[in-house]
Amino acid sequence: MRKHPNLLYILIILLPLFITNVVAESKPLPEYQSTYEDGDIKFRIVDRTPENISAFYQGREFKQTAIDEILNTCYFTVIIHNKTQTTLWLELDNWQFSQGKRQIKRINREYWKNRWDAINLNQAHRSTFGWTLMPEARDLRADEGVGGSIVIPIQDKPYTVTANFATRPDKSGPIKTVKIHGAQCVKDIKAKK
Amino acid sequence: MRERYQSKEIILIFVACFFFFSTQLNASDKLKLPKGIIKLDGRTAPPLILNDMEEEKYDLAQSKGRWVFVHFWATWCGPCRREMPTIQSLSEKIDQKELEIVLVNTAESEDAIFEFLGIVAPDLNPLLDKDGLVTEKWQPRGLPATFFVSPQGKLRFLALGGRDWNSGDYLTFLKKLNSLKGL
Repeated sequence: MRKHPNLLYILIILLPLFITNVVAESKPLPEYQSTYEDGDIKFRIVDRTPENISAFYQGREFKQTAIDEILNTCYFTVIIHNKTQTTLWLELDNWQFSQGKRQIKRINREYWKNRWDAINLNQAHRSTFGWTLMPEARDLRADEGVGGSIVIPIQDKPYTVTANFATRPDKSGPIKTVKIHGAQCVKDIKAKK
Repeated sequence: MRERYQSKEIILIFVACFFFFSTQLNASDKLKLPKGIIKLDGRTAPPLILNDMEEEKYDLAQSKGRWVFVHFWATWCGPCRREMPTIQSLSEKIDQKELEIVLVNTAESEDAIFEFLGIVAPDLNPLLDKDGLVTEKWQPRGLPATFFVSPQGKLRFLALGGRDWNSGDYLTFLKKLNSLKGL
């Protein structure tokens, strides 16, 4: 008989916590804006549809198995312009891709090397593909721009891109952070329609 | 007496060399770099030996004694496509005995190159880096990228991204390069 009041107390204590979490989970994230711009940086995500990707690599005479490898991922392009008068450090290892608290691991160049080895992709196409990817690290000079593709595993829900940039040539300046919420893998958008 | 004369000669040669090199370095420092052009550390340029579209072999080592504009590009790169007509136009304006223009296409087929250049820059004959390995050795910061190799074969400047090479500041910069022959 004594157990019931205890259980009730526990429920009374846990209920507000549960409600708080549900509210926190359901709190809407800012609407997806593919471009962020302020006085320091312009940061733009360009979503690539499977049709865009196929047309681009077919035009470069990539074999279909290579194109299929790319289509099996979430592939988007990022274009950055350093508007400051100092160095902005692009270092992809300092970027995060996440869904709520879950971190998404970026697909790196080592992965692609293994895939290309597996399907025996020729050197010219490996080189072209490599140049279309975002550089892993770059000291972006004042007014310099850079663009390239970033690849993560396919996601069925929107994700957040958090890009952190060290500043000044010796990285001694404040960290510049850009956050883009609600990005989606384009093929998932198509699938939902 | 003869020994003293020789040591004076040596001192004079040292002084002359010092003045020559300091003048060159000052000239390089004072050269106004237009937007997007950065100074490099002067390391020796990597080898560049490739065939052009007419299967003529080119070796950068043979261009010592003049500045070389080494431009890496590909037809799929938007800024490269916008920049190429300006390089065609530049090639008609400059004396290539003083500044040689060398284009390196990165890892594309001759058909893709011909289809593009035939329309926008029919007089340019790029080198073909068929497997892209030469480009990787040069490590451009992206495509397009233009390196300026000094008459001594050193990497002296790098142009980041694309631009109109016929606009005032860039033409002035290119013409002034010739005054830095000692680099």
